[in-house]
Amino acid sequence: MTLIGISEVMRSLPELWVGLRFTLLLVFASLAIGSIIGLFVCLGRLLGRGLLVGLCATYTTIFRGIPEVVLMFWIYYCGPLLGGFRPSSLSAALVAMSLYVGALLSEIFRGGILAVPRGQAEAARSLGVPEFWVWTSVILPQAFRIVIPALIGVAALTVKVSGIASTIGVTELVFEANVTAGQSYRYFEMFTAVGVFYFLILFPMSMIAKGYERKLVKRRK
Amino acid sequence: MTDDQMLAPIVTCTNVCKRYGAFVALRDVNLEVSKGEVVCIVGPSGGGKSTFLRTINGLESIDSGTICFDGITIPGPARNVGLIRREAGMVFQSFNLFPHMTVRKNLILAPVRARGLSHAEANERAERLLKRVGIANQIDKYPDQLSGGQQQRVAIARALAMEPKVMLFDEPTSALDPEMVKEVLEVVRELAGSGMTMIIVTHEMGFAREISSRVVFMVEGSIAVDAPPERFFNAPSEPRLESFLSKVL
Repeated sequence: MTLIGISEVMRSLPELWVGLRFTLLLVFASLAIGSIIGLFVCLGRLLGRGLLVGLCATYTTIFRGIPEVVLMFWIYYCGPLLGGFRPSSLSAALVAMSLYVGALLSEIFRGGILAVPRGQAEAARSLGVPEFWVWTSVILPQAFRIVIPALIGVAALTVKVSGIASTIGVTELVFEANVTAGQSYRYFEMFTAVGVFYFLILFPMSMIAKGYERKLVKRRK
Repeated sequence: MTDDQMLAPIVTCTNVCKRYGAFVALRDVNLEVSKGEVVCIVGPSGGGKSTFLRTINGLESIDSGTICFDGITIPGPARNVGLIRREAGMVFQSFNLFPHMTVRKNLILAPVRARGLSHAEANERAERLLKRVGIANQIDKYPDQLSGGQQQRVAIARALAMEPKVMLFDEPTSALDPEMVKEVLEVVRELAGSGMTMIIVTHEMGFAREISSRVVFMVEGSIAVDAPPERFFNAPSEPRLESFLSKVL
């Protein structure tokens, strides 16, 4: 037995590959669902009135304030209590992550929309442009540009948080590493490999964010 | 235009009042503007000039009184504000061009979305109007690539692209460097010459005197003087106007 088991890692690559695919599935799906939730919640807070505003604000506060791991366990185990069903670990993880991402994004979207100067909407309205187009042609495109760096930050956070899904049994990257390492006792090597995988996903994202911010600063000059 | 058309009022504001909490921004403002008239509104800062201008196209709501714009009144059915906005072009102090769109797209947006023009028609109109304001060669640039004077001329062209019946100017030259004021006023002067009805809030007294059919002095939220430019500047009848003119002339 050698000190560092590279060959064990190589042998486990098929399992890790399965894990990586589940990780990416969790990340992309929860970002997509979370974006839709986030957009509606933020528009509810900005355009709604009365109860709707309160509901949206409460949603944001609650799901930003609960640790992700608690949220995941809670949703995984609340099914039998609420309706006598048992969600699969994958769907529980997806729901938990989407709700969490949605809460984060709703605040980011709101900040972005409020950062668009008031005169922009006024100019569009003064031209008689219907409200739908004021939002889709003037406000949202500008807000989107403003929030791109923060969006990349949330995406990176989602990648990291997805590891928690292993605790309720989703066969993503951390889970697969744990299982295969359990067979070979090569925990150090396996988790080094997992660390490299995560780094290869996250590093390009931070580079893109940095490049974009540099471009923004340059344009402002 | 016949004399009869010239005299028909197109904007009639009656007893317009507006409060912000305890502060009275507009106090029983009455103003009638006829077709083809150029009315300049001058007065000290905080006198309600911009607020009043913004009530005409519904950017500011009013607490009482009525505004009648070419037969459409506010307060009235909810759609009235939208109807007025399509017929009233507005030019802002800070230009408010859409920074994520080229000049061409800035001019095309409203005619396509609010008037239902085809892209080709709107594009043809955009090119014609930019030629008119003297910046046809900048059509595919972004606003931040233009000088302040050029941006304001684009903003005027953008408002004209809706073929409005009245143009509202809210201190169009106040944010400009001095050397760019002239090129913008030149465009406004050309518009006046073409018979466009205009209401202009301005601090350019010389310009107001030259271009106006009437000059209105607004102070403390109401209209204190409404007179032809000759009388307004040469024989001010109001002590507050006299004191204002002695400071700015």
